[in-house]
Amino acid sequence: MGFLLACPNCGQRDVYEFRFGGEVHARPQFGASKKDWMDYVYRRSNTAGVENEWWYHRMGCRRWFQATRDTTNNSVLRTFWTDQEGSDNAVRARK
Amino acid sequence: MISAYEGDTVASALYASGVRTFSRSFLFHRKRGLLCVSGRCPNCMVTVDGVPNVRACCEPAREGMKVKRQNGWPSTDTDIFSGVQLIERFLPVGFYYKTFINFPTEWANTQPMIRRLTGRGSVKQELARWNAQAASGGHGDRFEKQYLHPDVVVVGGGPAGVFAALAASRAGASAVLVHDQPSLGGHLRFEGDTVDLGSVEGAEEFSGMRGYELAAKLDRLARAEENLRVYDNANAFGLYESNEVGVVQGNKMLKLRAKQLIISTGAGEYLTVFKNNDLPGVLLGSGVRRMLALYGVPPGKNAVVVTNNDSGLSLANALLEAGVKVSAFADARTKVDTSSPRFEALRKSGAILLTGYSIKEAEGGGRVTGATLIRLDENGAATAGTEKSFKCDTICLANGFEPDAALLTQARCRVSYDEALGEFIPSESPASVQTCGDVTGIHDLRCAFLQANIAGLQAASGLASATKAPAGKLNELSASLKSAETAYRDRLASQGPRPIIGIVSEPTDGKGRKPEMNGFACICEDVKEKELAQAVEEGFRDIEILKRYSTLTMGPCEGKMCATPGVGICARETGRSIADAGRTVSRPPYLPVPMGALAGPGLHPVKLTAMHYKHLEAGATLMDMGEWKRPHVYTSVFEEYSAVRTKVGIIDLSTLGRLDVKGRDAPKLLDFIYTHTMSKLQNGKSRYGVICDDAGAILDDGTVTRLGEDHYFITTSTGNIDFVEQWLTWWAVAKKWEAQVTNLTSGFAAVNVAGPRARDLLRTLTDVDLSTEKFPYMASGSGLVAGVPCILLRIGFVGETGWEIHFPAEYGEYFWDRLMEAGRPFGIMPFGVETQRLLRLEKMHVIVSQDTDALSTPYEANMAWVVKLDKEDFVGKAALTFAKDEVPQRRLVGFTVEGEVVPHDGDQAFSPDGSTLIGVVTSCRYSPAAQKPVGLALIRSDLSADGGTFLVASGTSKLNAKITFVPFYDPEGRRLKE
Repeated sequence: MGFLLACPNCGQRDVYEFRFGGEVHARPQFGASKKDWMDYVYRRSNTAGVENEWWYHRMGCRRWFQATRDTTNNSVLRTFWTDQEGSDNAVRARK
Repeated sequence: MISAYEGDTVASALYASGVRTFSRSFLFHRKRGLLCVSGRCPNCMVTVDGVPNVRACCEPAREGMKVKRQNGWPSTDTDIFSGVQLIERFLPVGFYYKTFINFPTEWANTQPMIRRLTGRGSVKQELARWNAQAASGGHGDRFEKQYLHPDVVVVGGGPAGVFAALAASRAGASAVLVHDQPSLGGHLRFEGDTVDLGSVEGAEEFSGMRGYELAAKLDRLARAEENLRVYDNANAFGLYESNEVGVVQGNKMLKLRAKQLIISTGAGEYLTVFKNNDLPGVLLGSGVRRMLALYGVPPGKNAVVVTNNDSGLSLANALLEAGVKVSAFADARTKVDTSSPRFEALRKSGAILLTGYSIKEAEGGGRVTGATLIRLDENGAATAGTEKSFKCDTICLANGFEPDAALLTQARCRVSYDEALGEFIPSESPASVQTCGDVTGIHDLRCAFLQANIAGLQAASGLASATKAPAGKLNELSASLKSAETAYRDRLASQGPRPIIGIVSEPTDGKGRKPEMNGFACICEDVKEKELAQAVEEGFRDIEILKRYSTLTMGPCEGKMCATPGVGICARETGRSIADAGRTVSRPPYLPVPMGALAGPGLHPVKLTAMHYKHLEAGATLMDMGEWKRPHVYTSVFEEYSAVRTKVGIIDLSTLGRLDVKGRDAPKLLDFIYTHTMSKLQNGKSRYGVICDDAGAILDDGTVTRLGEDHYFITTSTGNIDFVEQWLTWWAVAKKWEAQVTNLTSGFAAVNVAGPRARDLLRTLTDVDLSTEKFPYMASGSGLVAGVPCILLRIGFVGETGWEIHFPAEYGEYFWDRLMEAGRPFGIMPFGVETQRLLRLEKMHVIVSQDTDALSTPYEANMAWVVKLDKEDFVGKAALTFAKDEVPQRRLVGFTVEGEVVPHDGDQAFSPDGSTLIGVVTSCRYSPAAQKPVGLALIRSDLSADGGTFLVASGTSKLNAKITFVPFYDPEGRRLKE
């Protein structure tokens, strides 16, 4: 994998400066079924196409942001702070 | 010992001093000499200063360098393994598959012998060099990496590449040009003719001078161009995702990420296939021109030139000028106008001119002594009985070019065969890739100039920084190019067919096949023409399958010598056209790349604590813990253990991760992250906390100390700080909570002072009330210790009264010295990580990721007490709620064994009857307190009853382990609370 990613704070950087935080997906409410939790913890949509993702600028400003990326050709359509998005996606990142 | 002139390469210096055999071939150990003189063929690979497989023709000669020829024993000139040729008929194509499929066990015995017989160079020397470098501090020719993000990357430093780079940078683009030569200009450097670029706008400044003058001018202009960086002696070896070009320049690897890529890699000559085509003395025409023009080294005294295009004539004249006799000149074309002055000069020198002739065989054993030429009919097939033999010591082959299209195919350009040009040329390319020059199959400088200017302008056109090209400029250039290209093709057509020599140059039998086919199609892997024919007969008709079966194009030259002839042979044998036979796909790397260049600098970051040199003074042996160096043990585990248990010990805990968490939502955030409730923690108090993920698995543990209403200080395990920091900041962002997380790890140092005399010792240095009433177990406080502002946490990891003291790192050595000094009357000893592991094991205190794994829940680790399911949602609550009502699959148990043998961490645990594997020993040490080995094991929970037993397999012993859940030392925990 190799492409440039625009950190909203630092600008265009090589993707190796970042940590990939996984695709954005909603965390169930407490009380949801076992299946919902299992899907949340273990299943990914693994989209071939455009998806929203978490990224962390590990070798830069050490901040989390989201990117909209086409996984088929690694073109990054946009990057943004989550508070600008106005969505309430509760999400997870893998260790 | 040989001498060299400045500008010489290793190859030119060796050749000038009389060396003709540069290597032995891969399989048959045949002598091989210079062939391409441009770094494209495998023949001149030598070992230079211990580095194997260096291409001598590209390596500049340096004072004192040690060059060793490869692949020959006892020497390259006399190689006893050359006898392999005599058993050639027992080594058919696919030898390994065919032979060893019936004797699979024989492979193991035979393989070492084959490895010794075949192959190139020896990597041991390389390793030795690395070791020597490491020993001398790692300086010298270390590998490094460089990253560049220019607008435009131009690959290739011939005229087209330079024209394109100049056009792009003059149009406002930032450009990088990489090329594999020491100076720019490509083949112009050895062109004496006057250059005429036609009457195009912008061409005037380059016209009217000789080729080498223009080359020098281009070199000067390119280096003076502000917006253009030139990398010499740099090989572009592959094209990767998003226009990333991998380049190796000596010991440096460049990673260039370009918005636009201009490929002007040019074209190279390939080897023609005929009998003995690999003899030393057979050279490619462009190689001979390099030798003459760049190094002033004539290839021999008496040459035969074999050609099928215009470059042969220039070559023959260049040979004459250098004083080399040309005894015969064979041009495969029949419609050549031989009345030009150049032909006249050739004729006058006494050369025999033959049109419609090509080569059948190189004569000689060990090196060329003559050439047999043969007449071709109108279809390009040889006619028996027309052979003519000439004495010579050099055979120059100028039989056509093949575009260096590897990067193009990697860029997903379509490459297809052009019948008229007789070459595979790029037909379609992605919008971000432009091509120009010889790589397009048009070998014409006028066309190259136009193509390059179009490519440069187009590459710059989409950029914000670029100046707009005048409207119509591109159209005008395109129109000029069209007419120039038509003129070129017309001229080519007028010269009649250009048979691809060597594909049908021997007399054929009735079926159109050559009888002997003894020429080498592939000189890297010693694949002969007849082996390709045999492989096709066996059914390997597809070019890609043929390649894999025969290893054609798979040697170090990556197909540069053999792709075109190989495809031609495949086409002939399968009765298809060359276009239908297609060509193999090039994958990176295009040329051999040193592993060190890919790996980059061998840098290993090391973190040292503020007290590091104090530990060295005290004689500590160090261990690696993540990037940190930590004292493993100072004197002996037993002495250090006794000091902590009976007096007082001190350990450097600076490597613990530390985070400062502040903000309105900090209590909420920590409640959500930890399984414990942290919002109810009183100011000034500490609490042990565990972090789980949403699967309920333990991620990390540490302490949380409340410093204020919205202010916490937390510690993490040594290796996990980056993760925990990211985990906290990510949840804060995801939850849109206001909490600032600051990493204080390197800003602070820390020690743990523990033991029955710890309080007495610290009292001499601080006014903080350390009495159990005021400062009980798990409390925290702050104050001056030895005049240093500290955060004190009363924590009992090692099981004794003790304080974990965090303080600004800059006081590190001072603070350590003061404690050691003040502790001397109390019998203080520093203790290392190994001692700490024993101390905590006696208390059954868990080390996360040593005694737990990626699936362990707090329930499995007997830490149900840290999980507060009655608080609001937190990470892992759902999973732990489900898990609470289920029997866990595994359980962490304490155990003891009797006897002398101490099991190792990681030993396997079996059911009592020894029949079933039930888990693993996670920690085990000999316990002075229990007077026997004690440990922790993660085993199946149905066999984990208190008082039960299991077997531990340690080395050759099987030991009986008795399960217990009672700590081996101070089970009531009185001592750490005293």
